[in-house]
Amino acid sequence: MQDDDATGPKLSRYGVVSAFLGLVSVAAVVFGAVIWSTHRDSAGERDHLSRVMGAAADWTNVLINMNSGNLDASLQRLHDGTVGELNADFGAAMAPYREVVQKLQAKSTGRIDAVAIETVRHEPASSPEPADAHKPDVVAVKLPPFATRTDSVLVVATSVSENAGAKPMTVHWNLRLDVSDVEGKLMIAGLGSVK
Amino acid sequence: MKRRNILRLLAFDVVAPLGAIGALLAIGVVLAWPLWWVSVCSVLVLLIAEAMAVDFWLLRRDSVSVGTDDDAPRLRLAIALLCASALSAAVLTGYLHWTRPDRDFTRDSREVVQVATGVAEAMASFTPHATTNSIDTTTARLVPEQVDGFREQYKKNGAELAERNVTAEAATLSAGVEALGPSEASVVVILRVTQTSPGQPTSRTAPALRVVLTKRSSGWLVSGVLPINSR
Repeated sequence: MQDDDATGPKLSRYGVVSAFLGLVSVAAVVFGAVIWSTHRDSAGERDHLSRVMGAAADWTNVLINMNSGNLDASLQRLHDGTVGELNADFGAAMAPYREVVQKLQAKSTGRIDAVAIETVRHEPASSPEPADAHKPDVVAVKLPPFATRTDSVLVVATSVSENAGAKPMTVHWNLRLDVSDVEGKLMIAGLGSVK
Repeated sequence: MKRRNILRLLAFDVVAPLGAIGALLAIGVVLAWPLWWVSVCSVLVLLIAEAMAVDFWLLRRDSVSVGTDDDAPRLRLAIALLCASALSAAVLTGYLHWTRPDRDFTRDSREVVQVATGVAEAMASFTPHATTNSIDTTTARLVPEQVDGFREQYKKNGAELAERNVTAEAATLSAGVEALGPSEASVVVILRVTQTSPGQPTSRTAPALRVVLTKRSSGWLVSGVLPINSR
């Protein structure tokens, strides 16, 4: 071991192969780190989207179960779950829904039929588009202050009101909710009807 | 000890076995610790730990370890090979169990919406003098079990609509993925259907449809189109 020198040309054939395997190992560790971090990102994204769908469903559940009896409490809960422009103009945005509820005087129960993350949106044009023109339109939503991102959720729901003596009345809802992530809390930033 | 020996000691007696153990544990994390891997992994880790213990015991006794023994280059090579193959196996497992499914998920979520909106639009549209060609492009995106039913339905409805000279045009207003698995998917599509017939006012509806898809070898095919809340 006397003549060992780190810089000398003492690397044997075995040494060269070992050094190569060492490089392979380092490369594997780097690849592994990249794979792990991209997987964490996509898992986080899926988790976020399912939380968004949950938040939209919860909020809509309050909306479609509004009765004349719990109107004020429900509106308060809905208002607390909103952010941005929808929060500021809550009264105006809610007017059509309030109207529906007041029309459905009696006891009504709502049911959510489907919840989906919206990925294709075509703004209703004055003349309907040809059936084969489905290029995915860019979904541009203005972010409310402090929100890191906003996702659009489609909620299809039905509410049935049972008036004493009258025929049950059914209301169908095709709603689009914009759910914003405000410092980790999911808030509703926009509400619209798809029709 | 010479610098070279310290480096060899570090590389072959410490880093390489720890790297191999790390790789085995990483494979466990990727596979989410199935029982068979728990047993295989514990046996392998135990063997490595045992070898390390013996190695350090020899280092104390003879002041020469596997890494610094000039008479055992083959053993060093074997250790390097073991470490490199364990780490490569971990990367391969990660790619197969994480990267590829993630990529498939992203691609599938785009594809299912495309297929679903196309089929939903085609099914809700009607022109009195439709060519069989346009029907064929729709049936090509249905699962084989559904094709006959669709053709029959189309013929039945078509005759009725053609008699009244009705034209229905459907366009997607909005669509999104409701649920997506490796081989099953459910997509919500909200259409705008505009019906026109001579002498009648144009009627406009916005039905919400649930399109169920199945992955076959040829790609995603529609296995059912159902109204979500029938009006």
